[in-house]
Amino acid sequence: MELGSLQRRYIDFTTALFREGFLDNQYTQLQQLQDESNPEFVLEVVTLFFEDSEKLLDELSRTLDQQVVDYKKVDAHVHQLKGSSASIGAQRVKNVCMAFRNFCEERNQEGCLRCLQQVRQEYFLVKSKLETLFRLEKQILAAGGSVPVLW
Amino acid sequence: GHLVGVQRRAVEEMEEVKEEGEEMDVNDCGGGGLEVVRVLVVDDSPVDRKIVEMLLRRSEGIFDVVSVDSGKKAMEVLGLNEIEAKPPNHDDQKIDIVLTDYCMPEMTGLDLLKAVKANSSSRSIPVVMMSSENDSERISSCRAIGAEDFILKPLQVKDVQRLRTYTVPIGPMSKRGSKRKLPMALIAKSNGERHAPPR
Repeated sequence: MELGSLQRRYIDFTTALFREGFLDNQYTQLQQLQDESNPEFVLEVVTLFFEDSEKLLDELSRTLDQQVVDYKKVDAHVHQLKGSSASIGAQRVKNVCMAFRNFCEERNQEGCLRCLQQVRQEYFLVKSKLETLFRLEKQILAAGGSVPVLW
Repeated sequence: GHLVGVQRRAVEEMEEVKEEGEEMDVNDCGGGGLEVVRVLVVDDSPVDRKIVEMLLRRSEGIFDVVSVDSGKKAMEVLGLNEIEAKPPNHDDQKIDIVLTDYCMPEMTGLDLLKAVKANSSSRSIPVVMMSSENDSERISSCRAIGAEDFILKPLQVKDVQRLRTYTVPIGPMSKRGSKRKLPMALIAKSNGERHAPPR
């Protein structure tokens, strides 16, 4: 794809991500921290988020699958997922985590399981979006261009 | 290349923060150069640790960062022992300020704060708490035990820049610009005034 088209696609895609609530201003903060001495900072942080989140989602499945659910443990995991999603600006994941914690407090297993499904869905959605974003950035750089700055 | 725009914007923001910081330094410190401040970051979240490390490192080189993922490891760095206190030796890394998450498994940030303040060799080290929860009871507990400040996560550039003020002698009260900060009245101690939390 031609450089100009790639850059336009990047702009449209990024704008949509923010408009649809997948990402919020915290993601922009991370982009602002990145510089020439740390050109992969955002990718590194997001990769850590992916690893951490998938571990937490697996733990959540295991914990909610127990005969007697340890809601304190569930809440601790959701709290962690909420924190890290807030830190990278994954707004929709964070929002589901907030609802999830309410169900933990109520010791509502059905509610928790629904939230788990929802948070898993939102996580994999934002993961896919971010991977597309990084792919576009790579393609733009490979084509000799600059990644548009949208802030 | 594309990083120029990123770098330019980040530098502009850091310069804004630096200007604010310089203003505060002139008013508060009465002179002296900017020494490197060694910060011990304690957070079990690898994502948050990385972000805080970067925030500190981008602060114009005034922070030297040591980061650990647990209160237990923080105790080791500080030369403290959970069971009994021991005096620090030259092998322990000198820490100027501790920046710790509140919610951590096993040893919480509150436990760490208590341990730091209970030990004569570490009591004077400022401890700043971080949390994603704006919980007034939590803030009061930390304050009562001696935390310098309580910062809401996710941290911003300005939150980090202010850390340096907790490691220098305090002068007249300076303005606090962040709505998200809940000051622990450190600066106010020197002039008898108290800050009320904004929320």
